[in-house]
Amino acid sequence: MIALALASILLPTVGAALIALSPRSASKRLGQIFAGLATACLLVLAYQFSVGGKIPAEYSVINFGGVEILGFGVDTVSVLVACAVVGIGFLISIYSGGYLDAGNREHPDIVRRRYFAFLSLFIGAMAGLVFSTTVIGQLVFFEISGVCSWALIGYYEKPKSLYSAAKALIITHIASLGLYVAASVMFLETHTFALSAIGGLSETAKTIVLLAILVAAWGKSAQLPFHMWLPDAMEAPTPVSAYLHAASMVKVGVYIFARALMSSNGAPELVGYVCTIMATITLVYGFIMYLPQCDMKRLLAYSTITQLSYMFLGLGLSVFGSQMAFNGAIAHLFNHAFAKTLFFLVAGALSYTTGTRMLPLLRGVLSKSPLLGIAFVVAALAIAGVPPFNGFFSKFAIFAGGFEVAQQHPLLMVLLVIALLESVGSFAWFLKWVGWTVPGRPSEAVAAASPVPLSMQIVLITLIVMAVCSSFIAAIWLG
Amino acid sequence: MVASDLPPLLLLSPLVFALVIFAMPTSGRSARLIELLHLVSIVGTLVLALTTVGYVLSHGTLVTFGDWLMVDPLAAIFVGLIGVVGCLTGFYSIGYIRHDVAHGELTAVKQKLYYGFFNLFLFTMLLVVTANNIVMMWVGIEATTLGSAFLVGIYGKGTSLEAAWKYLIICSVGVAFGLYGTVLTFANASASIDPHQAVLWTSILAHAQDLDPTLVKIAFVFVLIGFGTKAGIFPMHAWLPDAHSEAPSPVSGLLSGVLLKCGLFVIIRYYAVTMKAIGPEFPQSILLVLGVLTVAVSAFLVFVQHDFKRKLAYHSIEHVGLIVIGLGVGGPLGIAAALLHTINHSFTKALLFCGSGNVLQKYGTRDLRSVKGILRTAPVTGLFIMAGALALAGFPPFNVFVSEFMVFAAGLDAGYPKLMILVALLFTITVAALVDIIAHSVLGKAPENMEKSDSSWLSLAPMGVLLALIMVFGVAMPRPVGDILRQATGIVMDQGHATATATPIEHVAAKK
Amino acid sequence: MSGLQIVNGLAGLLIVTSLLVVVARKPSQSAKFYALQSLVLVAVFVALGSATNAPQLYVWAAVAFVTKVVLVPVIMARSFGRLSDERLGSGERISPAVTVLLAAVVVLLCTLIISGVTLPAAAGIKPALAISLAHFFFGLACIVTQRNILKQVFGYCLMENGSHLTLALLAGSAPELVEIGITTDAVFAVVIMVILATQINRKLATLDADQLTTLKG
Repeated sequence: MIALALASILLPTVGAALIALSPRSASKRLGQIFAGLATACLLVLAYQFSVGGKIPAEYSVINFGGVEILGFGVDTVSVLVACAVVGIGFLISIYSGGYLDAGNREHPDIVRRRYFAFLSLFIGAMAGLVFSTTVIGQLVFFEISGVCSWALIGYYEKPKSLYSAAKALIITHIASLGLYVAASVMFLETHTFALSAIGGLSETAKTIVLLAILVAAWGKSAQLPFHMWLPDAMEAPTPVSAYLHAASMVKVGVYIFARALMSSNGAPELVGYVCTIMATITLVYGFIMYLPQCDMKRLLAYSTITQLSYMFLGLGLSVFGSQMAFNGAIAHLFNHAFAKTLFFLVAGALSYTTGTRMLPLLRGVLSKSPLLGIAFVVAALAIAGVPPFNGFFSKFAIFAGGFEVAQQHPLLMVLLVIALLESVGSFAWFLKWVGWTVPGRPSEAVAAASPVPLSMQIVLITLIVMAVCSSFIAAIWLG
Repeated sequence: MVASDLPPLLLLSPLVFALVIFAMPTSGRSARLIELLHLVSIVGTLVLALTTVGYVLSHGTLVTFGDWLMVDPLAAIFVGLIGVVGCLTGFYSIGYIRHDVAHGELTAVKQKLYYGFFNLFLFTMLLVVTANNIVMMWVGIEATTLGSAFLVGIYGKGTSLEAAWKYLIICSVGVAFGLYGTVLTFANASASIDPHQAVLWTSILAHAQDLDPTLVKIAFVFVLIGFGTKAGIFPMHAWLPDAHSEAPSPVSGLLSGVLLKCGLFVIIRYYAVTMKAIGPEFPQSILLVLGVLTVAVSAFLVFVQHDFKRKLAYHSIEHVGLIVIGLGVGGPLGIAAALLHTINHSFTKALLFCGSGNVLQKYGTRDLRSVKGILRTAPVTGLFIMAGALALAGFPPFNVFVSEFMVFAAGLDAGYPKLMILVALLFTITVAALVDIIAHSVLGKAPENMEKSDSSWLSLAPMGVLLALIMVFGVAMPRPVGDILRQATGIVMDQGHATATATPIEHVAAKK
Repeated sequence: MSGLQIVNGLAGLLIVTSLLVVVARKPSQSAKFYALQSLVLVAVFVALGSATNAPQLYVWAAVAFVTKVVLVPVIMARSFGRLSDERLGSGERISPAVTVLLAAVVVLLCTLIISGVTLPAAAGIKPALAISLAHFFFGLACIVTQRNILKQVFGYCLMENGSHLTLALLAGSAPELVEIGITTDAVFAVVIMVILATQINRKLATLDADQLTTLKG
């Protein structure tokens, strides 16, 4: 199995190198092929893993003087998340093949090698991060993914996008100091970088390490006070935005914190309070920022911030002893990945076909393009957490787990009520935009829209299906 | 050949070649011959340097020439560095200087002098790092200034002469302080041991406990000012950005990559003596303060520069600051980290200066505001610069990441968490500066009517080797390098070889 | 008068001669005063050699005579005569009177510092040691306070003489090769400085350090 996990990391990396060396015309195909191969590896891995009884396994890859520097591990959570991040990476590769061409009305483009090379490297780095069992490994892939996102956000090379790219890189790099601290403290305390050593730390050291990792996680997941980079990062090509903000970059933060908690063997309550309180604050902030947004991508950016807050909320609640909240958070990570990718890709398809992504200009999408209309509705309802779409189930698990532990912790009850109110509010807000955009007679921009390319249609349909099914897959998988 | 012949041979080879090159006639035809001589010399130096390092690794310290020459593992690191970076920048010089001669920037005479001084410069640096005699160490450092001042001013333009003058005056004055420190140390040691022994670093270290503590302190301050000038430590760094930006690019790479480290090498030698004589507290606190100041000042200066090479020069100052911090943090991890960072920074900086050379020859300017789209006009150079800049910014999987992380961890270990976070934040500023280079100069819109053509393979091949070294040191540091780092750290800590533990990382484990 | 007192007395003369070097109007004049100073230095070496019964100092004296009394001044006088910069004027940042005052302060400070040194080698020659240190810093002050780059070269030479004297006083017993190495370096340093100064004068038609400010930031 380790071979398959390694393959899913190395294949896209090799693909990136090949793309850099091959002529420009081949880059699109190469990127898609290698992402596809990596996805296939992971699906086989998932199958073998579940057939084999889901027994976790770890392998060290690089050792230096008896200290494990880099190791990979396969377990229930890592396999699930890896399938999502790499699989969505594959879908994005296909979608990008259609999106980045001269027919794009918002950003006509010839595909540059840079795009697929960094996207491919990004997929590899994400797989590496997910399977890493050492803090150093996480740090390395954390930084690599930062560089990749920088290269992709700045892809159009406009001053604004380059500025946004640098901003994202610098802010997440500052946050990564948390991981530096965590790795150093762990090493100095235990002489190992293995994540599993967190459990053996003294109470103080454990608090320091977990809080340090939490800071790094906030940086990548754009939580307060590190949220500034995410809305600006919307300067990226839309498929990249989809990947960054749904499946990869921002999930890095949630994932490394989840990993740390899993290994912590009971985290101090202080960590839980810091985590839940900051999550709630970010939640409220993100919701308030919904209201003035007209640009569909910026709206989605703030929605991403709040959805990530739900995951942190779930993780924070799990500190107080709720396994349900933890599983809810992981499932939400999985579900949100598909739902948000879908939403971004709808936005991308709209700007591809109509040349704008300003919501007030977009009306009557359903009659002009039924697929986009349906996709819009599904994505919005899934994000807002309406059954039977996936967002509902995972959010429900987080809340259910939360109310359970809140019996003993009155403060948590307050936080949960606030979160619940936000949930209702964002439901109302998304419903408003669905009602504005989807039904009715097409507006000028929509009426003049060009058809959606086939590759983009296929990806959208896959994602619509996943937006319904993913929560069941996650629930079954996590048991 | 006897092993003890290695150090003298290593020294003589570049010296003899330098003299031969100076003696060559300058006609149009002899240019190729001079290049060949130069090539033989640098390759010879590389081979001899690596052989010496290999011998030291397998058989231990080499002492010869009446104990005046010594290559211990600490020196071996620097010998190897001079060999490798000297050879690669020397190879890069061939294409670069040809281009300058073809474009009338240099005359045939200057070309000959360039190669002569280049090899002389290598000789002087080797003299510094193989010296066991502390006065000879000083002589060597002073000689490096003299050897390289001409290289800095070789273009004979107003700015390059100005840079050379500042370089010469500031470094001569600074290094004069170093002489005072040297003399004080010698006088101090000769009070308790035979004068012929008192001039040897090894005997001074062995009798460090008998030294007068006050004089040791004064001498260390003088040494730090003196050789710190050469290393570019704040506030003695004023010459560095000028000299590094005005010199021919391969020389800039050599200055930044190796010469600064020779200054540091001498400081490390005295640091070891001082630590043994009066304990680590005094030297370490001075080093820490200077290191942090150096990083703080240069971080902002890096950011505001528009001249590519000046930016890189300030960057070198910053990394010297980090090395000094590593030394100041002390402990086996800190010192090993500092030494490793010395190596790593050399490779990356040499790569980037070579890259800046290609850019300069392609665009005719170093002003980053008018250099755009390198990736489109010279794709390979662009790729190299991009990788080099990311490496220098400390991103994995490149080598600088490893040593920066080690310095950081050593600092936390030694109980300076706030200081380390401050330093890390300061380094973030330079990450921004480097990313800016990539975003606006490597990428961006290429100038109209500039044809797409890269530098010749003569320029690109050494850069490729440097990048490969950077990757190797980042992903899997070769075992022998780890060994030699460990042994060198043992020497600085004066533990001898036997008690030192297996790897730099394990030092920490052993200490607990 | 004991041998060491002669040494101390001669060392005092060094400060006088170095003042002459600094305040001299023309660089070629300075070169002559520098030769005079080096002669004093050679005398110090001889006196010290006989006082401490250290024959190797005679070798030092001979080397110093050849290089510092003859070679370097000749090089300087010959090449500096050809260089000129009309606009520079005296090139002084501070007046000669202030320079003398500065020298006095430096000597005083160095005497204070040296009085704290407890090395056995320093006993009896503390005044000379103080002066050697003062000479070093005085040379540094010369570099800082003179805009004429040729005067800066002399400043370097003064520093070098200062450290040379310290070397002789404290490390007279060091192997001769050491001394030769240091002297060779010093001579080469002066030669290269002279070459550079000549090039600068030719290229930029100035000898004013304040004009060399193109590179900044």
